[in-house]
Amino acid sequence: MSEALAIETVELRKRFDATEALRGLNLRVPRGSIFGFLGRNGAGKTTAIKLLLGMARPTAGQARVLGLSADEPTASVTIRQRTGFVDENKALYDYMTVDEIIRFTAAFYPGWRRDLEKRYLQSFALPLHQRINTLSLGMRSKLSVLLALSRGAELLVLDEPTSGLDPATSEEVLQAIVTHVSAESMTVFFSSHHLADVDQIADHIAIIDAGRAVIAGALDDLRGRYRRVQLVFTGIAPDITFHTPGVVRVRRQGRVMTALSSAGSDALIAEAMRFGPVSAEVLPVTLKELFLESVALEV
Amino acid sequence: MLWHKAWLETRGRFLGGLALSLIVGFGVIYDFRATQRLLPLVRNMDPAALDTSGPLGAAIKEGLAAQQSFRGFVWWQWYRQNLTYLVVVFGALLGAGGLLVKSGGATLFTLSLPVSRARLMTTRAAVGLAELLALAVVPSLLIAVLAPSIGQTYSVGDVLAHGVCMFVVGSVFFSLAALLSTDYVDGWRPVLIACIVAAVLGMLEYIPAIGRFGLFHVMNGESYYRSARLPWIGLIVSAGITAALLRTAAVNLAHRDF
Repeated sequence: MSEALAIETVELRKRFDATEALRGLNLRVPRGSIFGFLGRNGAGKTTAIKLLLGMARPTAGQARVLGLSADEPTASVTIRQRTGFVDENKALYDYMTVDEIIRFTAAFYPGWRRDLEKRYLQSFALPLHQRINTLSLGMRSKLSVLLALSRGAELLVLDEPTSGLDPATSEEVLQAIVTHVSAESMTVFFSSHHLADVDQIADHIAIIDAGRAVIAGALDDLRGRYRRVQLVFTGIAPDITFHTPGVVRVRRQGRVMTALSSAGSDALIAEAMRFGPVSAEVLPVTLKELFLESVALEV
Repeated sequence: MLWHKAWLETRGRFLGGLALSLIVGFGVIYDFRATQRLLPLVRNMDPAALDTSGPLGAAIKEGLAAQQSFRGFVWWQWYRQNLTYLVVVFGALLGAGGLLVKSGGATLFTLSLPVSRARLMTTRAAVGLAELLALAVVPSLLIAVLAPSIGQTYSVGDVLAHGVCMFVVGSVFFSLAALLSTDYVDGWRPVLIACIVAAVLGMLEYIPAIGRFGLFHVMNGESYYRSARLPWIGLIVSAGITAALLRTAAVNLAHRDF
């Protein structure tokens, strides 16, 4: 397992009774990256995060976080000492005030950043003496982000950080994360099914579906490699089986055939020209298309 | 800070239990006078009217004998009945909850902190047991303090001796609820089951052959009341049961997926 990786999982599996939530998940999250962990609801994102933070134990496979084994209890405590976490539900202790939960959390982190605490208290306009059960979801999200960022962590794990937020609050939270990461040397691993969020801040992604990573890599690299080739024929598009490496999906609709390639378009077009299309057009693939094609493949 | 968190999560139950126990304890003191006025009426009754041959009659006879003195009255009314019930119920209430229940959806936030589950469990149990100790002792101290107001005395030594018995056996029901709370995500089933177990054990003590070995005989400190000897074997067995239950709860919690 590489020291250059903040997170690495190898064939990670998790079974809950009859349900196999993870089915051999392989992830490589480079240190210093902003890693978007994409997937539909129920794809296994939250389960993977729980395994990384020692909240659940794997059925099989390995997970290492910051070079430490995630399923070893003592190492897991060290991992959490060096990790900030925002839970999907932004659930905090309802019976505490904002000030109380900040003091409570700070007590566990010797490297607690008072400067960041003050900055985010001010920029998020959090009411110090208000009880958490009276805060709106947006306010609780901001407080969760404050508690995660101020830990002075090397790794930030965010599970659906903008889930349930209005666009303005969502933008505010994302901007806080991006600003923070640009000023600190840290890795961000965040799960989402909001593609716009991932597109906005991630430099690496993995798309998970049915418990396995179906696409992973640097976002720019994926954008460079993936191409959609649209072929138009005079009659009904022929039922072609492409032999070109990297063809991940072919769709036919009337006279139009669309092929998605993970290895550029040149070889695919060369092979397709033998079937006599009247036109061939190469289109870039958006993250949304990549996501939809990837998860559709695995259904 | 985990101590503070555990206190915040249990203080409602603890303070509620303490308030109720103080009220009941206060009532016990002033009930003594009323009882003293009634006892001569019972003594003057026709002996044939009180059948003491069965278990109920024997219990009535024993109660009447015990309540002739203030010390006996306190033991019979307070330690043998009221405080026993209160410590069992509030012991179960204080033991229930923990990581799965009171934190509610914030369980993941707790688990994201750099502390082991064993430490979470230990802190929670220590705070709960400290509260249970206070419930077992403080209301009885009120009796010792207020006894002179009705012309009686009650020794602090008796309060402490009975308090130890109450606390050690009450810890069994506390730890049973704590163990059940590592399996049930709701707060009420561990309390209910612990109370049902207590009720069944209490009823079994009416069986003469096994009654004298019962936990409640240890809990009410009968041997201390009658012969000034603490029930050491019962206390050690109870403490052992508590330790085993809490250990099992910690193992359960350590292996649980969230």
